[in-house]
Amino acid sequence: MSNPQSEPLVELESVVKRFDDFVAVKSMDLTIGKGEFVAIMGPSGCGKTTTLRMLAGLEQPTEGEIRIGGELMNDVPPHDRDTPMVWQSLALFPFLNARENVEFGLKMRKVPAAERKKRALEWLDRLGIGEFAERNVATLSGGQRQRVALARSLVTEPKLLLLDEPLSALDAHLVIRMQSVLTKLQRELGITFVYVTHSQSEAFAMADRVVIMSQGEIAQIGSSRDIYREPANRFVAEFVGRNNIISGKVVKVTKGKAEVIAASGTYVVEAGDLLEGQETTFVISADLVQITREATKSENSVQCSLISEEFIGSVVTLFLEAADGTEFKVQLQERELSTLDHGAGDEFYLSWPAKSAHIIDGA
Amino acid sequence: MNTQKKSTQKKRRFNLYAMVWRTPIIVWQLLFFVGPLLFMIAMSFFLVKNYRMIEAFEMKNWIKMFSKNYFWDSYYLTFGLASLSTIIATVIAFPASFALAFKVSDNVRRWVIFLLIIPFFTSYLVRIFSWYVILAESGVINAMLSYVGLGPYTMLNTMFGTLVGYMTLCLPLVVILQTFSLANVDKNLIQAAKNLGCSPIKTIYSVIIPLAKTGLIVAALFCFILSFGDFVSPYYLGGSKPPTLPILIIDTTKSGQQWPRAAVVAVVMMATLITIAFAALALAYKKRASR
Repeated sequence: MSNPQSEPLVELESVVKRFDDFVAVKSMDLTIGKGEFVAIMGPSGCGKTTTLRMLAGLEQPTEGEIRIGGELMNDVPPHDRDTPMVWQSLALFPFLNARENVEFGLKMRKVPAAERKKRALEWLDRLGIGEFAERNVATLSGGQRQRVALARSLVTEPKLLLLDEPLSALDAHLVIRMQSVLTKLQRELGITFVYVTHSQSEAFAMADRVVIMSQGEIAQIGSSRDIYREPANRFVAEFVGRNNIISGKVVKVTKGKAEVIAASGTYVVEAGDLLEGQETTFVISADLVQITREATKSENSVQCSLISEEFIGSVVTLFLEAADGTEFKVQLQERELSTLDHGAGDEFYLSWPAKSAHIIDGA
Repeated sequence: MNTQKKSTQKKRRFNLYAMVWRTPIIVWQLLFFVGPLLFMIAMSFFLVKNYRMIEAFEMKNWIKMFSKNYFWDSYYLTFGLASLSTIIATVIAFPASFALAFKVSDNVRRWVIFLLIIPFFTSYLVRIFSWYVILAESGVINAMLSYVGLGPYTMLNTMFGTLVGYMTLCLPLVVILQTFSLANVDKNLIQAAKNLGCSPIKTIYSVIIPLAKTGLIVAALFCFILSFGDFVSPYYLGGSKPPTLPILIIDTTKSGQQWPRAAVVAVVMMATLITIAFAALALAYKKRASR
């Protein structure tokens, strides 16, 4: 993994983007290193695509500075930048065949025809679609067209590749395959990828660093693991993974442990900086919760009744309700579940050790 | 399997609904287009004796017309003028259509299209006569030119006059059709081209025109068809000298009731237009071959 302290390629400094009255991006600071794979993730309308479009020059920042390779890019038009983009819609030219699509960027750079063709064919071969070079792009499958779009962006050997939800139109099994194609390419080429997505599985699977955005602001920047295990705030905890979020009041701090009273019961968390009498919110990831028929001697235990379950392959999420109506989520392996004889309305005990709870700021 | 086959057959045989809706247009076309056209083709083989038409099947009219220089002069002139009109209209209309499609707000576009439709409220003949006031030797343009010491220029009864008439007929329609086809161009593809290093000017001919090709060709085709068959402009603004094919038809019918010879000219015009229309539409809808 490349570290964010490597030589910076892209720098955003207090970047603001307003469309009339709507603020799409609010004062954004972000540095992306050379050769880094950064994913920008967030719900729709969070400003992630606007950020990407500003890097491509398709939008100008209202305030702040954008630098690429140390050069101020604010007023550089898109066609004078070397920032190819892979589009959500792919945006392949229907009047050109696969090879001609790939050649387009080279043609604009006045590369001679013979060399253009050679380089385009090399890239199509590299992405495993050499045999379709002369095909009309409309006759190619989704995965093949995706590869043409990738080849078209990479053939000019850019330092920075922008990807705008490129896999969102593909079937699930193709997404997994393209993810490995993308990560492999990025490692081999050593170029910087900025990848915008709303899918956490894509972001976590590929990126060195994930930027979570919410309402035009960065909610958290960190490695996939950091963001998954240590969400910085309630937004991230709700948006990423499956988390149980509990708010309450600290009533006692002893021996590094704090006792918190919440609506659904009393819980013990690691004290950290918590003070007696303080309001706090903590998070327990659904996959760290243990579910049993009988009460356990765990530090934290809460009795719940089963409401429903959600089956997604090998992982199952159970939705339960405590006596006061608080919803709890438990995630477990399908094979574990089969040993737990269960039905809707059954009573269970949920438990977790104090160290599993992660305290987030805000209430 | 067998029953399925039967049911689709049944469907094909008894699609009464489609039949009912299709019938009026078919009847209309047969009565007022195919019928007269066939009659006109037949008439081109008739003979005229003592100013009266006699049913016959002779090649005389065809041989007569095809051997006359004035027929071919007129044909080339009409074809040339219609082509010139098409080129001029397409070139003049494009910047306007481009601006309407890409540079103005939806509101402005709506108003301008409304303004472009207004000329169709008045008869084409009236619009042509109004050019007299503007183009005449004592008209508006020459009056203005005389202030800067130029002119007067003769514009009426010239080919320039004919072309002005053709533009009056075609230009608003060409702008409207071009605007619609340009406005339908996928903006994502334009951005993608810029993103790949294509300058704004280059984008026009390497992305926008190929994408809007069908509509641009159809607009040009309309212009050619309208100009080729127009009688009013070459007659009133062009002074009918030298005559275009529509004027030749009129002259031929007037001189000695030569309706069969006029039919020859008309059939040649129809054949030309059908050929041009087929060629243009084939070009407009040509898909990239895929190997």
